[in-house]
This record gives sequence, C-alpha cells and structure tokens, in this order.
Amino acid sequence: MIRVEDLQKRFGSLHVLKGVDLEVQKGEVLVVIGPSGSGKSTLLRCINLLIEPDDGRVLLEGVQVNRPGIKREWVREQVGMVFQSFNLFTHLTALQNVTLGPTRVRGEDPGKAAERGRALLARVGLADKADAYPAQLSGGQQQRVAIARALAMNPKAMLFDEPTSALDPEYIREVLDVMASLAQDGMTMIVVTHEMGFASNVARRILFMDAGKIIEEGAPEEIFHRPKEERTRAFVSKILR
Amino acid sequence: MARARNTQNRRRLLVFDTIAAIVVTIGAVAFLLDTLAIRWGLNEEYISTSYVDYLKAAQVSLYVTTVSYFFGMGIGFVLGWARSVRTMPLAKVIEVHRRAFAAAADGGRPRRWPVGAILLYGVKYYVKRIADAYVAIIRGTPLFVQIIFAWSAIITYYPRMDLTLQGLFAGILALTANTGGYQSEIFRAGISTVHSGQVEAARAIGLTRWGAMRNVILPQALRLVIPPLTNEYIGLLKASSLMVVVGAVTELTTFGRREAFISFHVFEAFALVTGIYLLITVPVSKVVERIERRYRVPGLGVQQDRAARV
Amino acid sequence: MVTTVGSATRRSLDRGVTLRTLLRAAEMAIGAILFIIILEVVLRFDILDSTLWGLYGPYYFVTGVLGTLQYIAIIIPLSVAVGFSVGWARLSRLRVVTWPLSVYVDFFRGVPPIIIVIFASLLGPSLVPARFHSKDLGILMAALALSLHSGAYQSEIFRAGFMSVPTGQLEAAQSLGMTRGQSMQFVVLPQALRLSVPPLANELAVVIKDTSLLAIIGALDLFGLSNVFTQQAVFGSNQLWWVFVVWTAVALVYFVMTFSVTELLNWVDRRYHVKGLEAISA
Repeated sequence: MIRVEDLQKRFGSLHVLKGVDLEVQKGEVLVVIGPSGSGKSTLLRCINLLIEPDDGRVLLEGVQVNRPGIKREWVREQVGMVFQSFNLFTHLTALQNVTLGPTRVRGEDPGKAAERGRALLARVGLADKADAYPAQLSGGQQQRVAIARALAMNPKAMLFDEPTSALDPEYIREVLDVMASLAQDGMTMIVVTHEMGFASNVARRILFMDAGKIIEEGAPEEIFHRPKEERTRAFVSKILR
Repeated sequence: MARARNTQNRRRLLVFDTIAAIVVTIGAVAFLLDTLAIRWGLNEEYISTSYVDYLKAAQVSLYVTTVSYFFGMGIGFVLGWARSVRTMPLAKVIEVHRRAFAAAADGGRPRRWPVGAILLYGVKYYVKRIADAYVAIIRGTPLFVQIIFAWSAIITYYPRMDLTLQGLFAGILALTANTGGYQSEIFRAGISTVHSGQVEAARAIGLTRWGAMRNVILPQALRLVIPPLTNEYIGLLKASSLMVVVGAVTELTTFGRREAFISFHVFEAFALVTGIYLLITVPVSKVVERIERRYRVPGLGVQQDRAARV
Repeated sequence: MVTTVGSATRRSLDRGVTLRTLLRAAEMAIGAILFIIILEVVLRFDILDSTLWGLYGPYYFVTGVLGTLQYIAIIIPLSVAVGFSVGWARLSRLRVVTWPLSVYVDFFRGVPPIIIVIFASLLGPSLVPARFHSKDLGILMAALALSLHSGAYQSEIFRAGFMSVPTGQLEAAQSLGMTRGQSMQFVVLPQALRLSVPPLANELAVVIKDTSLLAIIGALDLFGLSNVFTQQAVFGSNQLWWVFVVWTAVALVYFVMTFSVTELLNWVDRRYHVKGLEAISA
C-alpha cells in the first residue's frame, strides 16, 4: 500500500535520510523504533509530503507521489497523521476540530460532518467532550481528539509520530488502546514510538532505524529477543532493560 | 539526479532573489528621493555647510532627552515599585488577625479589629491607585498636550523668565513626567516578574527583606529591565522632537523646521534631520533587538509599550 | 516583547469582568469628582464659567473634536490595512519582498512622527500631479504619512501574531489535506488575529494621540484649535487660568477616546480569547 524506495533527505549539510526502503501492506501495522535524531520523524513527514524528499520514491498504492504534477493535498487526504504535540486547533472545539477537514477540504455538508464527527469522538471515547476546547482537555484526551480528527478524512493509512511521548504516564494507556482498536479494525498504520508493549502486541513488523538508515527489520519477537545486528541489540537492551 | 538539481535550483533562486531584493530596495528609495528632490532641488553645498549646525541642534535634543530620562527614571522606579508591591488582600489581613486574637485569649492583648493593619492596607492601596491614575493619564493623553500644559504652568507662574528657559523647563518637565510614567510600567513589570516566589526563597535562606531585595530581586530585575529601558531612551529622543510646539528651544526638529522655512531647502533639511535621527535610533534599536533575542527566556519578559508615544 | 499575562490570569479576569469594570468605572468617577472639587475649591478655577465655554465651546471645542474624529477615521483603517498587509508580506521567504519592507518599517520606526508630519505636508504634494492640489493637500499627505507610520508599528504587531501561532498548527492543517490558503484562512489567521488584539489596542491609542501632531501644520483638530484659542483669547483677556481649564478638558477628551478604544478592544479580546494561546515576541 505504501512503499518508500531509497529515500534521501538533507537539511543543509546534515544528511538525515541516507537511502531508506520501507514497505507496508494494507491493514498492516508497522512500528519504527530508533534513537532520537535517527530521522524517524523526517521519514514520516516525507511519506505524506510535509517534507519534500531530495531523492528516492514514495509510492502510494503503486503510484509515485513525490513528483510534480501530483497535488500534495490529495496525498495528505489519503494519509492521516497524528503528531507528538497533538496540534489541535486551539480556537476550535473538539467537534469543530474534527469537522474542519471534511467540511472545508471535502466540502461535506456541515450537518452530516457533525454527525460523523460525533460518532468518531464517541469511538475514541470522548462523546461528551464535543464542545470542549483543547485547553480544557487533558493531554490524553487531546491526542484522542487528534486521532478522531485524522480519521474524519477517511484516510487509507495513518502515520503516528511518537503519539504518546508528550503525555503524562496516566494518559498513555487510553491513547494506545484507541490505536490498538484502530489496528484491529484493519487500519494501515506506521507508528514511530518508544512504547515497546504496544509494539510487541500490535505490530506485525518492527523497523529499527539509526542515523538515517534502516538497520534491521523483523517480527517483534525477533527484534526484541533475537536481534541480528549489533546496533539493534544495543538499542533494544537500553529500551527493554 | 533530482537532489542535486533541486539544491542547485534553490541556490540559484536565492542568489537571484538577493540581487532582486537589493535592486528593488535601492531602486525604490532612490526613486522616491529623486522625485522629491526634483521638485525642491538638491543643494549639496547647503548640506555640506550647515550639517554642523544640525549636529549642534541634535546635541540639544540629546541633552534634553538625557536630563528628562534620568529624572524620569527616579520617578519611574519609585512608582514602579509602589505599583508592584503585592498587598495581602484585606480579607486575609483581617482573618490572620482574627486567628491571632482568638489564640491569644490567654496571652497578650491585640485589639479586636486590626485597625493599624487596615489603615496601612488602605494607605498602600490608595498610593497604588494614585500611581496607577498618574500612569493612566500620562499614557492616555498626547505628549503635545502634556508639554503645553507644562508650558502654560511655567508661563503663568514665571512670566518673566527668559523665553528659551521657559521652553526648556516646560519641555523637560513634561518629558520627565512622561517618561516617568512609561518607565514605571517597565520597572513594575520587571520587579513583579521576578518577585514571585523569590522573596520567600531568599528569606528561607536567611536574608532579610531588604537583603533579599538587594541580592536576589534587583539583580534579576535589572537584567530584565535594561532592554526596554534602552528602547525607552530612544523613544524619548523621538518624543523630544515634540518640543517644536514650544518653539523656543533649538532642538533638532525645531531647527530643521526653521531651516526649511527660512532657507527653502526643504528636502535638504528633511534629509539632514531624518538622517541624524535614523543614525542614532536604528543602530541602537538593532543592538537591543539582538541582545533581547540572545538572552530571551521564553515566558519571561517585560511587556513594552511602543516607545514613541505622543 | 513578551506578554506577562498568561492564560491562568486571563481566566480569572474573565470571571471578574463585570465587577472589575464596574469597580474601575466607580473609581474613575470618584477620582474625577475629587479632581473637580480640588479645581473648584482649592485652586478656585471656575470650571463651568459660561464666558469661557461660550467663547471656546461652540467653534473651537466642537469643531476640534469633530476634526480629531475625522482624522482618526481616516488614519485607523488605513494604518490597519497597511500594517496587516506588510506584516503578512514580511513572512515571505522571498528577500525581494522582505528587504524593501524591512527598510520601510525601520525608517518609519526610527523617525519621530512629527518630522514625518511636517515634511510630508511640505514634500508630499510634489508626489501628486498638480491638478489635485488644494490647500488641504498637505494635511492629507501628512495624515497618509501618519498611517504609514502607524502601519509600520502595526506590521510588527501582526507579524508577531503570525509567528506566535505554533508551526504545528500549520502542519496539522496541511496533514488534513488543506491547501496553504485554507490553512491560513481557517487555522492560522483566526489565532494570529486573536493574539494581535491586545498590542493593537495599545497602538490604536497611540494613533489617536498622534492625530494631535497634525495641528503643527495647521490641521483643525482638537489640539490645534485649542491652542489657537488659548493663545488668542487668554493672553488677550488675561484670564490665565482659562488655559488650564481648556487643556484639562482637552486632556479629558483624549483620555476618554483612548480609554474607549482600549476597553473596546479588551472586550473583543476577552470575548474571542483562546485559552492556552499566548503571544511570543517577534
């Protein structure tokens, strides 16, 4: 469904992505782990073209999307993103956050969009917070609204950039639960995270990334318990203790 | 390769952009100056002979500004302090006293109502409100009006004073009052920003209230307060130009205006006056901007009024 | 500049709004009454002297107030339009756009407004073809110049507003498939404008006060006409204390104007305030 071939990205003299290959099938959950600065966020942002790759190909359902002639907005409609810092629109209520995309980008009827929006908020467990402003919500609630907001666009796949890293510990569970239920419903997901529990239970495959390259790839138990590469072993041992 | 082409393109665009920027900027400025100069003429000889007089007038401006600035700082500091000192809410004062009274049924004899404390609270409150009123008036009325007001007072009470001196005193009086008001804002914000929690911490390690002030609050407040104070000086320099309404003091604007009318070298006068002001204000502002940016702590700072107030 | 009032303070301000405004109004009324008493009794200024007001009121005072309001009505909308456009434009990555605009802003911020007024009235008409020339053209040019002057300051305010909106907001909007234009319209602009309101209130108060500068080139505003009156009538009739009454009245009018504008914009700010959104310096 999503394939990335030999992705290269430089920021000035900093070579952030040094030829990354990645593939995720429909309905698959792929988790990317790695030390900070390894380029994981950049990789995600190249997939939905928030960042323009210097070289390489990004393919969505077989179609190369990182070329002139393709509208970026169209790509981003197909691939939703959830951010580490939630990025909820502070001047809008939760429901308005969720319906903004469908009404303004898709031109959906506001009434229908609101209905769907409430349903989505109920799905993430926040039906009663539809009229709350982000500042009135806890971190976990904000992130769940963010997930509902991304889902409102009916994306084919979802990208998660360290969704729980900015959360207080007591809120991490609720967000991971929502993500797990999404996975169960068959959503294609690429998740950058440090939550190893989630990775072990929900991911089909794990990618270990370091210094701009994919070092190793495999099923969760292989990566965590029988890593082949030295760097993988070093990183995993630090994480798992 | 796409990447190489991309960076190459970007670099080329940047160069083109920079060159275009320089061309447009210089071109627009030159065009404007040219249009104005054509009508009024550009007499270089005038500029080269009289620029010294303009500089002397600028000296007067700087003198007036500096005197008013430092007198104003005295006022501003005192007012700022008065307005930043936090008073315990009246209810709490009474509550605390009540508890002491109830608990001391067996010991000393405090009065039933903390009359002294209430009076003190009242005094502190009204001093603060009067200071607030002063600042509000200064900020809410044009400097022109303030200068005329001062001038009227001086003319009324010292009618036989030399004209220039009358103007000078009026200007300095008004500018002092004006900058005092604005500086009190700066000091108030600086002191209260640092004040929270720091006094307790300082007392906790054994400093007296005065010691805490001297060793903990003031050093920090000073650092916060210097950039806006510098901007305030520049603002006051620009404000000193309003003394032209008094007419008798030959500061830069008065001088430039007079020259423009007498010599008909309007454009040259404009160029000289503007040039001198810009020469002083722009570099200082830029330096302050840079310092502020370097030492900025997010969430910590002093709100600053636009410095050029009238 | 950094605002020191955070969201928590804003929230408590919200609650006490009506009480607070009432208290402040009451305090000001008491202060005004006290002030009047002092003037009347202590200094023996007869404030409501009908001779004075008969001479000053109908023409000088009324015309003056109307004149000032007229200049305000011209300058404020113009300066906001200029300030907003320039502030937006300065966000551009193109130096060919930002450099000239920075020169514009630095120039108008570095030169005292009175210089701008004087020389705009003298030099301005040369920029206009002869057939439009009239005796008021100088004053009009000066008013336009003041708009540009305030516009420069306002551009900084709006620019700071834009830059204070976290970049994540734009990212999130784009990740939903919004074009740059849509992101601007529905996400960035609403927040940037809300952030700009408090400093804007301050700047508009300054504009109101700056209109008095037009008096020096002969404009018929409150300051100018009051100046004319005090110089003619007072030094002629020897009623020196009239001067103080007149200028106090003038100060009061300006105070009411600036206070109204700042309170109005503060109300707007409270009404549309977004909790959790704070301004950062430019």
